[in-house]
Amino acid sequence: MKIQKILSCFVLLFSIQTITAQDDLLGQLDVKSTKKEATPYTFKALQICNLQSTKLPAKGEFYMLITHRFGDLTEGINNFFGLDNANTKIGGIYGLTDWLSIGVSRHTFQKNYETAFKYRFAKQMENGFPVTIAGYNTFDINTELDKTNYPSLKFSNRLAYSAQLLISRKVTQSLSLELATIYTHKNLYDNTTEYADLALLGYGARYKLTKRLSLNLEYDMRLNAIDGYMTNKFQNPMTAGLDIETGGHVFQLVFSNSQAMNDVSLFTNATGKFNKGIYFGFNMYRVF
Amino acid sequence: MKKTIIIFALLLIGTTVFSQKMITRNGKITFEASIPSFEEIKATNSTVSCILDEATGDFAALVLIKSFKFKAPLMEEHFNENYMESNLFPKATFKGKILNFDAKKLSTASTTYELEGDLTIHGITKKIKTKINLILTGGKLNTTANFDIKPQDYGIEIPSLVKDKIAKNIDTRINFNLETQ
Repeated sequence: MKIQKILSCFVLLFSIQTITAQDDLLGQLDVKSTKKEATPYTFKALQICNLQSTKLPAKGEFYMLITHRFGDLTEGINNFFGLDNANTKIGGIYGLTDWLSIGVSRHTFQKNYETAFKYRFAKQMENGFPVTIAGYNTFDINTELDKTNYPSLKFSNRLAYSAQLLISRKVTQSLSLELATIYTHKNLYDNTTEYADLALLGYGARYKLTKRLSLNLEYDMRLNAIDGYMTNKFQNPMTAGLDIETGGHVFQLVFSNSQAMNDVSLFTNATGKFNKGIYFGFNMYRVF
Repeated sequence: MKKTIIIFALLLIGTTVFSQKMITRNGKITFEASIPSFEEIKATNSTVSCILDEATGDFAALVLIKSFKFKAPLMEEHFNENYMESNLFPKATFKGKILNFDAKKLSTASTTYELEGDLTIHGITKKIKTKINLILTGGKLNTTANFDIKPQDYGIEIPSLVKDKIAKNIDTRINFNLETQ
């Protein structure tokens, strides 16, 4: 009896071993990775709508950029719902390294040439560092100004700058948030309506509706633009948009109260109010 | 009776002692889903793990989806984020058997066997069967196979917008150099 028991034990053991052998094989391959990974895909595009996101091109990646803002949508048939007076930005962005990119673009607005640098300080990590931090600087040259109208014009009068610190966090798989501190400076400005220096606090959000479609919102608060201090011509910029992603493109539809697309003018010269001055447009990125 | 016990015990010990395993951690898998005159869709993973039990022919492989490298970083991003959903399904696995495998018959000449088993991609498991070529040189077992994978079988959704630019059958090639553990 005893022998039989032992025997059946062995048989049982033996059969278990054969059954689990395959799982064991796979189990032997499985090694828990201890390497910390960066949180991927916080933003799909380099911009949320108008505001820059914390995304940079990868090293060696070239983005060709064509963006449009049509005229004021609320003017209706008068300007064919904004089809007249469209603004265009055309440019390119190149990833010098994974953490530094350079961009050059030409804008219809003020015939601006904008040079931009984006650089990343830190990446959000899975179970690690909580946010991605990037810096963004733009340098604008206004080529619309001419000596006929401004006889004592100097080259420095054409220049304007912006410096931005962008902090983003992917909160859930579908929601990403961004906080931006922005400073703009204009060498030449209209002192009845504009500020030479302006500080802003920007908020941006991206929410993924489906795998390839996301809703984006952004709002920038001008901190030192005090009501009643100057003619109330310019507003806090506000933009809503949709990311539509296809193979090698990212296509963004945008509704904004700012028609200008260069950062300095975008932050300081947004004209639209709720019922008047909505500019429809799109950003199109093609990646090479 | 005692004899039977001894035999069983020997058998048991035998399987543990003589089950030699061959393993690699830098196997290669390349797939291509290109359509002529459209952008090349091709990626290679060089960190595939694979193990073969020489005694039984049991064969298992494990792939980390994020380790597939594309030429274009954006394509790699799309692949991970929207097609493979690699944060939800970080691994693909194969668990199966080389049929009629006999370790003694391995030689420097290529021998072809049938490989059969369960392939799990994107959280979905399907039975597959393919030919596998084995060459033993200098103690290394070179293992190659070539088969097609249909994305729709594994619930990998391809949007209509790019349907014409991605092959229906994805040509997959494996190349592992297994070494004795």
